[in-house]
Amino acid sequence: MKKFVLPFYLFILLLLHACVDTEERPNSPSGNFEALWQIIDEHYCFFDYKQHAYGLDWNSVYNKYKVRVNDKMDDNQLFEVLTDMLAELRDGHVNLSSPMDYGRYWAWQESYPKNFSDTLERHYLGTDYKISSALRYRVLDDNIGYIRCSSFENPIGEGNLDECLNYLMLCRGLIIDIRNNGGGDLTTAELLAGRFVHEKTLVGYMQHKSGKGHSDFSKLEPQYLEPSSNLRWHKGVCVLTNRSVYSAANEFAVMMRALPHVQLVGDHTGGGSGMPMSNSLPNGWSVRYSACPMYDRDKQQTEFGIAPDVAVTLTDAATAQNIDPIIETARRLLTE
Amino acid sequence: MKHKALPLEMKHKALLFLLALAPYAAAFSQSPVGYAATSSQPLPSSQPQPSDTQKVITRSTMVGAGPTKILDTYLSAEHFSGTGLSFISSVERHREGKHWSTLIEHEANISSVKDRAGKQQELEAAYNLYWGKLYNWQLLDGKLRLQAGGVANALLGVIYNTSNSNNPAQARAHLNIMPVGTASYHFQLFHKKMMARYELALPLCGIMFSPNYGQSYHELFNRGNYDHNVVPTTFIAAPEWRQMLTLDCQLSRTFTLRLGYLGNMQQQDVNQLKQHVYTHRLLIGFTKRFSIIPRSL
Repeated sequence: MKKFVLPFYLFILLLLHACVDTEERPNSPSGNFEALWQIIDEHYCFFDYKQHAYGLDWNSVYNKYKVRVNDKMDDNQLFEVLTDMLAELRDGHVNLSSPMDYGRYWAWQESYPKNFSDTLERHYLGTDYKISSALRYRVLDDNIGYIRCSSFENPIGEGNLDECLNYLMLCRGLIIDIRNNGGGDLTTAELLAGRFVHEKTLVGYMQHKSGKGHSDFSKLEPQYLEPSSNLRWHKGVCVLTNRSVYSAANEFAVMMRALPHVQLVGDHTGGGSGMPMSNSLPNGWSVRYSACPMYDRDKQQTEFGIAPDVAVTLTDAATAQNIDPIIETARRLLTE
Repeated sequence: MKHKALPLEMKHKALLFLLALAPYAAAFSQSPVGYAATSSQPLPSSQPQPSDTQKVITRSTMVGAGPTKILDTYLSAEHFSGTGLSFISSVERHREGKHWSTLIEHEANISSVKDRAGKQQELEAAYNLYWGKLYNWQLLDGKLRLQAGGVANALLGVIYNTSNSNNPAQARAHLNIMPVGTASYHFQLFHKKMMARYELALPLCGIMFSPNYGQSYHELFNRGNYDHNVVPTTFIAAPEWRQMLTLDCQLSRTFTLRLGYLGNMQQQDVNQLKQHVYTHRLLIGFTKRFSIIPRSL
C-alpha cells in the first residue's frame, strides 16, 4: 500500500500545477500590438498565398510597425498603427473594431470603378417591382426576369424563392444582379444557387487551419452544390458582378460560374474567400480575420475575386441615357 | 354491544397481514415518492435501526453563487472573469451492511463574464452529471467515513461570445472517468449534530468534442466536414479536478442545513485550443436522509 502513496501525492501535485492557461499580454500599446500581431500570425489563413501573390512577409511587417509603437501613444494613434499593419494583409475580411472607429482595408473596391448606378437601378426596377425578403424582382420589357439581390445578410427562405421563380417562370432568361452585394450568410447564397443546379455539382473546396503554423491546414474538402427539391430554373442565367461583390456574394459567383447555363457579366468580383473569425485584444478591441480559405472547383484561390465571362463596364454616356450596359449585355446574351 | 374475541390463529394471521401492509401504508402516508419509511434524522448517528435490507438515501439540494473564470482560445485570447450561479442536486444510495454506495450528482451553472477591459462579454452555461460507485470505510466508531471510487462525468455546455462573427460560440461536451474520494466526519458543536464532508474528484481519461484549431462550425454542421472532432483525453490533456467541502448542521428533526464550497476546475488542451472554466461557489441548501424498507420485509 505504501508504495502507492508517493505516486499518488505526485499525481495530485502534478494536477494542481497543471493549469491550462495562456500568457496574458499587458494592456498597453505595445502589449496590444504584440497581441494583435500574434493573433494574426497564428490564425490568418492566406500567408503562403499572399507571400507568392505580392511578397507578404508577416515577420517583416512586425519589424516595420513595431518601431511605430510606444507606450505613450493614445488610443487613436495606436488604432492608426494597428490598422495600417492589418492593411498589409490586403484583406477586406480583416477588421479592427473599436468604439471610435472601424479599421478596414477596402481598396479591393474603392480603387476601382463602381460599375453600378443607383439611378440606373431605380430606372430598371421602376416602382412596381416585387419584394420577397431580400430579393427585388420584376419582368423587363423583353420578357427577361430581373432579380436584384444586394445582400445575403437577411435570410431568404425557400418560400421566397418559390414565389419569385414562380412569378418569373415564363421569362426567356433570368438576370441575377448581385452588384454591391458585400456578402452575409453563406448558407443563404447556397440556397439561392441551389435553384439553378440540377444534379449534385462540385463547385469548390474548403479547408481550415489545423495549427498555428502558416502552412498548417486540413485537407481540401470538396464542396458540392445540391439541387433544390423545390422549383428550379432551367433556362439561361446571367449573374451581374462588380468589384463590390465580396465574401458570400463572391462565393455565390464562384458557385454559379461552375454551372453550364450561367454566365458572369460585368466587372471582376472583389473576392474575400476566407471565412472570417474573431478574436479580441487586451484593451477590448475586436479583430476579425480570414480563417478558413475557400477555393473554386479547380482548387484556385478566389481571395482576390474572379473575372467575369463577359467583361462590361458602365460609361458616362450610357448612364446619361439611362442605359446600364451591363444589364443590356445580359439581356442580349439571354435572347440570342 | 359486546365484541367477540377472535381465535388465536386468526389473530396471528391478522398481525402478519398488517405487517405486510405496513410499508405501503407508510409510503402513502409519509413520502410522495413512495418510499416505504422515511426518517427526518439527517445524520448517521440518528439513523433508523439498520437492517440487512435497508437502503439509506441521502439527498441534498443546494444553490450557490461565486466567481467564474473562463479562457477559450477558440473564442478569444483574453481571459474572462465574472460571476455565476449553480444548482446542485446529489443523491447517495447506500444499503446498510454493504460497502458500496451509489452517487448521482447533477450540477448546472450559468455565468456571465467580461474581459479585463470590460468591453467583451461571454455567457456560459453547463450541465454536469456525475454517476459513480464508492467503497465505504467506517472508522472511529462510525464518526469518520471514508469513501473511494469512480464517477463518470457527462458534460454538456456552451460558451457564447457576444461579439464574435463566425465563431460566436464554443460547444462543450465530454464524458470523463474520474477517481473520487470523500471523507465525512460527524461531531457535535453547540449541542447540534454536525457533519463535515470533503469530496475530491480527479481526472483519469475520457472523450470530448472539440472543433479543430481553425475549424468553423459552418464546416461542421452545414458541410459535414469533420476533422478530429471527437478527441480522447487523459489527465494530461484535460487536467480537471472538482472539490466540494460541506458542513451539515441538523437544526431540527426535519431540517438539516448544508453550507459549503464547490470548486470545479474544468480544463482542456486539445487541437491546440486551450480552454478552462473555473467555477468557485459558496453553497447553501438542505439535506435529507431517509431509508427504504423493501416490500419483502
